[in-house]
Amino acid sequence: MSTQTLDVFQVVADPSRRQMLLLLSKNSLTINSLAENFDMSRPAVSKHVKILHGAGFITIEDIGRERYCTLKQDGFNELQDWINYFDKFWTNKLKKLETLLNNKNKSK
Amino acid sequence: MQKDINRSWFFRQPQQEVWDYLTKAELLEQWLMKNNFKPVVGHQFQFISDGLTDCEIAGVAYCQVLEVVPTSRLSYSWKYSMKGAEISTDSVVTWTLHEKNGGTELHLLHNGFTLMEDVISHTDGWVKNLNRLTELLNVPGHVHTNA
Repeated sequence: MSTQTLDVFQVVADPSRRQMLLLLSKNSLTINSLAENFDMSRPAVSKHVKILHGAGFITIEDIGRERYCTLKQDGFNELQDWINYFDKFWTNKLKKLETLLNNKNKSK
Repeated sequence: MQKDINRSWFFRQPQQEVWDYLTKAELLEQWLMKNNFKPVVGHQFQFISDGLTDCEIAGVAYCQVLEVVPTSRLSYSWKYSMKGAEISTDSVVTWTLHEKNGGTELHLLHNGFTLMEDVISHTDGWVKNLNRLTELLNVPGHVHTNA
């Protein structure tokens, strides 16, 4: 599974990634200190970090020899996009209903 | 953060006619989605989208009728699952109809969205920290002190 194809819901669907977001909601952490909280290999942690980064949930900053992960707002804004999506969805649908009803009455 | 979708729409048609398009499966399908709706409280039904029309995301809305007041009020739960995603959104759709200027005013309220909450409910520790997370998200440009 490539990181690009994961949508925001798939990103947060994974318990390890949720746990990572939770830890990062308290503090910025280096990838190493993040990894200490998980019973998984460092490459596995890096993979999750990459996914979180790709979806805009975190920023990664190189400070000295360490890579620091910080919670970012963009990923969460995407959840807001879901509501915006339905907003547009209904507007389109209601327009369609309006057209349907108007055309029906014209043809009477 | 916007939590509700509110839309009012005016139709020249009488209330009964608009109501029919909200409650008769074959009429609903013409403008909304393929469905097996029945205007009966407790009835469970689905709206199914192949994602091919109207820029929709392919998926299924799992619904249950919550309230039916003929020609004036209709409400159902709306749990949308996108194709290929493990997570869905819970929400409620409520339609209200009023007679207005010889036509019908239709009001749509789509709310009760549980997004993160939906995800969070599956992890115990996560719930406790929801408030903390919400705080963080509500402060634009928040900078972590030890970054």
